[in-house]
Amino acid sequence: MRAYAEGFVLAVISIGAIWGAWQVPAASPGDTWAGIVPFSASVALLFLSGLMLVGAARHAASGVTQKEDDSATLQIVGLFIIALLYQQSFRWFGYLLPTAIVAPVVLYIFGVRSWIGLGLSVVLCPLIFHLIFFVLLGVFPPYGEVFDLLSWIQG
Amino acid sequence: MEIFPALLSVITDPMLLFAIVLAAVVGMVVGATPGLTASAAIAMLLPITFYMSPIFALAFLYVIGKSGRYGGSIAAILFNTPGTAASAATQIDGYPLARAGKAGKAMKVATISSIIGDLMGDILLVIGVGFIAAIALKLGPPETFAIYFAAFVVIGSVIGSSIIKGLASALMGILIAMVGLDPISSEERYTFGSFELSNGIGLVPLMIGVFVLGEVFAQLESRRKATGATRENESSEDGNSLTWEEYKPCLPFAVRGGFIGAGIGVLPGLGSAIAAFISYGEGKRRAANPEMWGKGALEGVAAPEAANNAVSGPSMAPLLTLGIPGSTIGAILLGVFLIHGIQVGPTLFLTDKELVYKLFACGMLGILAYGLIGYFGATQVARLILKIPTDVLYPLILLTSFVAAYSARGSMFDVTVMTFAGFAGWLMRKYDFNVAAFVISFVLAKGAEETFRQSLLMSDGGALIFVERPIALAFLIVGLGAMALRVRGIVEERRIAKGELEDA
Repeated sequence: MRAYAEGFVLAVISIGAIWGAWQVPAASPGDTWAGIVPFSASVALLFLSGLMLVGAARHAASGVTQKEDDSATLQIVGLFIIALLYQQSFRWFGYLLPTAIVAPVVLYIFGVRSWIGLGLSVVLCPLIFHLIFFVLLGVFPPYGEVFDLLSWIQG
Repeated sequence: MEIFPALLSVITDPMLLFAIVLAAVVGMVVGATPGLTASAAIAMLLPITFYMSPIFALAFLYVIGKSGRYGGSIAAILFNTPGTAASAATQIDGYPLARAGKAGKAMKVATISSIIGDLMGDILLVIGVGFIAAIALKLGPPETFAIYFAAFVVIGSVIGSSIIKGLASALMGILIAMVGLDPISSEERYTFGSFELSNGIGLVPLMIGVFVLGEVFAQLESRRKATGATRENESSEDGNSLTWEEYKPCLPFAVRGGFIGAGIGVLPGLGSAIAAFISYGEGKRRAANPEMWGKGALEGVAAPEAANNAVSGPSMAPLLTLGIPGSTIGAILLGVFLIHGIQVGPTLFLTDKELVYKLFACGMLGILAYGLIGYFGATQVARLILKIPTDVLYPLILLTSFVAAYSARGSMFDVTVMTFAGFAGWLMRKYDFNVAAFVISFVLAKGAEETFRQSLLMSDGGALIFVERPIALAFLIVGLGAMALRVRGIVEERRIAKGELEDA
């Protein structure tokens, strides 16, 4: 089943890529088509996905099945969603506030159960990262469109 | 001869020397920490190097890569957990030695052999790189494209357990690199009307995502499966020292391993793990005591460890002379060159020769730095690693990956790219796709496309130009031949496995 799914996903990606390459306008006279490499690569990918599906069919015919261990997958998908929200909240609230919220959450996910440690991370993580990247290295921090804690602190 | 003034210049620069020693320590700790890789550390530190001079940045990351390869042996010998894939071969004899109370002896053999192999690789690089660059200058677009093609096929088919998944990973890397404006005609490709996508996908956020965030996801998964705590193996008093009489029989194995590693290092994509296992197999075949290999032979530590480290220098040859990174570390270093506006390829030896030789000099001094620290302090490094709380380390790495991705260009789009790349990197690892082939192909794709289209223009659109020119044809055959050999190898392995099953 897993082999079928892998082949199917690859086939979908490659068909999407072929369609995307096909949208590239034709070349002007004396030039080469800008879509030639994406088109060739996606056709090759479609061929490989075909091979994977054929391999999956043979595998299924031999009666061998693989046992899946997906117990951690949900946790990783959860962490990915947190990561997506975290990066998006930079745009809304700047760097400090999202980091102060996400740091203890991620530490908890990885097994830290000390309430003092989690509490300290709320202050220390944004502070240390801010000092290293935005003060020492001089990177301009992301500005929060809704509310920016750094601007509020700086008055 | 350019290497001697370069060495002198580096030795007289205290800041650069400090960077080399710091990189040696960082690389060793990262390489020895199971689950952390030198690639991840380099990708994470990449944005910081924006604020350094090119030689400082390159030397720092290059030495981390070298020291990280060596650091893997510390975890392999002392914890029975290879810190890197390449040190799995060292573990075969290293861990039985550690169990027998000879951990210190095994570590010293690993350190000396690593120094021998790494120095051999670097010396061969210094001697050979100028010749390769001179030849590369004479190659036209069809020949260069054929080299790219061979690199894609070798990288896609040789690394990993599945050729199809390896090639698919390489093709996906090419497709992701195509996002944005076409550099020749400025036509939009895969942008779907997005202005941010029209600038293309950045190398730095992609690498941080795949190597750093992807690794954090993978670690979260493996922590659920892990059982028991890692424990260091103590050395007895006698097992901590190493005499010349004890090392003397290891020397031929280390030298042979050095040549094997250097030879494999020049070929893009093969990497140090393959070199280490080939050297181990070859060493066992030639050993006077093959029955002792696998049970705690010092030669069994020397052979793979020298080969593993000898890969480091020569793997820079295709990167510097052709712009083709042979490894993930090479791909990241290519990013550093590009960030600092340095064009990698044969012309590098005309425009920035001094920088290149200074980098080689830094590499050699880095070998001495990690060698000295490792010889006298490997067990202390191991104790330090055991004290690192991984439940705190990985969340901090996750937070660093976000701010590092942002710092590269001050772009929130890069952070989004990094987040998706991290998840994609984890998915690729989980489903046995080839992350290294994906990233290296992403890096190579633009150059390959440019040479491919230049070749087509030269021949008025005819693809036969790649077959009519002998050097181009030779490289196409090399690529296809490597894939055919790999297919044959896999079929052979399956046949043997099937035979064993039937016997059972």
